[in-house]
Amino acid sequence: MNAEAPETTSEPASADMQRAGPGQPEAFTFTGSGSEYFRIWIVNLLLTIVTLGIYSAWAKVRRTRYFYANTRLAGSSFDYHGSPLAILRGRIVALLLFGAYNIAFRVSDAAGFAMLLVLGALIPWMLWKSLQFKLYNSSYRGIRFGFGGSAGKAYFVYLVLPVLSALSLLLLVPFTHQRIKKFQHDHSRYGATSFSFHAAPGRFYKAYLVASAVGLGGMLAIMLAFGGALAGLAEAGGLRGAGPAAVGTLILFLLVLYAWIFSFLPVFFTLLQNLIWNNTRLGEHRFESRLRAGRMIFIALTNLIGIVVTLGLFIPFAQVRTLKYRIESMSLIPSGSLDAFLADAQQQASATGEGAADLLDVDLSL
Amino acid sequence: MHETIPAFYFDGKSSRRFPVSLTVQDRVAVISGEVQRACPLAELRVSERLRHAQRTVTFPDGAYLEILDPVAFDRLLATTGHEDSFVVRMQQSWRGALAAFALTAVVLFLGYLYALPAAAGFAARALPEQAERMIGGETLAFLDRRLLEPSAMPPARRDALAARFKAMVTPRPGAPGYEIVFRKSRIGPNAFALPSGQIVLTDEIVDLLNDDDAVMAVLAHELGHLHERHLMQRMIQGTMIGAAATVLFGDVSSVVASIPTIMLDLKYSRDAEREADDYAVAMLKANGSGPAALIRSFEALEKETGDRSPYLSSHPPAAERIERIRSAR
Repeated sequence: MNAEAPETTSEPASADMQRAGPGQPEAFTFTGSGSEYFRIWIVNLLLTIVTLGIYSAWAKVRRTRYFYANTRLAGSSFDYHGSPLAILRGRIVALLLFGAYNIAFRVSDAAGFAMLLVLGALIPWMLWKSLQFKLYNSSYRGIRFGFGGSAGKAYFVYLVLPVLSALSLLLLVPFTHQRIKKFQHDHSRYGATSFSFHAAPGRFYKAYLVASAVGLGGMLAIMLAFGGALAGLAEAGGLRGAGPAAVGTLILFLLVLYAWIFSFLPVFFTLLQNLIWNNTRLGEHRFESRLRAGRMIFIALTNLIGIVVTLGLFIPFAQVRTLKYRIESMSLIPSGSLDAFLADAQQQASATGEGAADLLDVDLSL
Repeated sequence: MHETIPAFYFDGKSSRRFPVSLTVQDRVAVISGEVQRACPLAELRVSERLRHAQRTVTFPDGAYLEILDPVAFDRLLATTGHEDSFVVRMQQSWRGALAAFALTAVVLFLGYLYALPAAAGFAARALPEQAERMIGGETLAFLDRRLLEPSAMPPARRDALAARFKAMVTPRPGAPGYEIVFRKSRIGPNAFALPSGQIVLTDEIVDLLNDDDAVMAVLAHELGHLHERHLMQRMIQGTMIGAAATVLFGDVSSVVASIPTIMLDLKYSRDAEREADDYAVAMLKANGSGPAALIRSFEALEKETGDRSPYLSSHPPAAERIERIRSAR
């Protein structure tokens, strides 16, 4: 109990505001704890199960509010305003589509492909709506975020470009990724202030190249290390002719390979988070992300072990650990006072009207 | 009694924060300091209690207060009669969380053992046969391309086997329409039912059994799968378990999520086999013979496929199945 006292009681009010002068980086902090989130998680889980999933929308609101309320920047926290009913509606739609898709391919290939077309037409729209929903329902210091990208552009980045990348034998994947992020960040705003995105496609190609080189290099090293043992296994005529030692080697090989594939994702994720946030601005304010791949791998692997050993009870602790590290590696480099942001007058007007109620949240984050 | 609580006020129009203090007089919250404002308590929304996060009090127009002295604020809330919701009280106490954990475990366990099989069975029987047929429509064509070849058995023999089975009575009325399909197999002796209502009988199993009574018993077992709507039931159960595992472990790793799915689904598979065995025994009995032919088919198949581990197996071990049938007699 003592440890919490200084944090919550007497935050130096005015000192904080002066600290936000030009150039002084403001670190993001995350005050959530695994044990507190565990309690929220387990209650959410119970209520979700006994209500056959209906409560999951309320659970999402509680979870998001918990994470937002514990994310702090320059002495203030974020807030989430999503309505559980809108989230529930979105989840029902997504579930119906997912179910229809799964059944369609069992009925016939033609039905499956027809359903694929329907999904292709709907998913960009849903992604667009959920971006609006997520940003509009997030706030900091009482000012809502917002998203102004058009539906046409959403179809371009979420449908046309992915199809082109598939046709280009994935050569366009980094470009597509860059365009998606540019679409998301360029059209986001905080109150009346716009975000902007400045990473050129070349930077994404470089990140993908580095990640592929690391991933393939590691896999090659593992293959070489186990090469002799595996060749011996093949000579012995497969598993039936092999002794327990050879089978043990094979299992070890698969485990190491899986661990590598599993730890490669954090590397990729690190490169991307740093690239994306180091090139995003809010008005004239800049962001900085200093995620380190080694630390991310360590967190991901220890989380996996913890979750498997505890049969899942470690999940909330794992989520908090990852989030805390990701958030606390970020800072905002202000170019002036953080008191000067204004709410978007137009958005304020429509927020109370019908526009906001129509929004629908689908849990698709790309 | 008049508690004065330091807070920051955000007006919802700019990101500026105003140091203020909050007091409550006659069920009206009064803000003083850099901003003056009053609002009836009934119109304010207090954020849920969290251990580390600051609590907020939101006005109807979106302006809000960030409370700086949580201890004094708690005292104030107590005097105004504000109560945490049931969910929040549960989340904020270890006793509540442990109770939630125990209940979750019990609900999951009972759900897996009883509720899900019962609900999936009910849904499968309530769905029209047509739904099942539609879903399995192309399965045989798929198998024909990959695993099956046309039967090499003389047509007269095939017709005789099919006619003999058709002439048997089912243990209870309402058996679905079915068709016995003869195939040569690339995967050894086998017989299985498809959602489309086809029962595939391979030449190899007929040769292996070399005993038409046993072939009839095998067909009765497969008809049992169709009559009990096991295929639809298994599909529903598998989907539900997969969804639950994805909710629990999906964020972590899809490999980790698929392990419990497969393990848990195997129990349902073995349960379905036992039910189909019971059905076959009942069908044999209804036609005036004992379960001996079914037992012979298990013994012959076990000799062929060898003894498999009872764990990680989609079928119960043959010895157990035989024992079950004998003891039920």
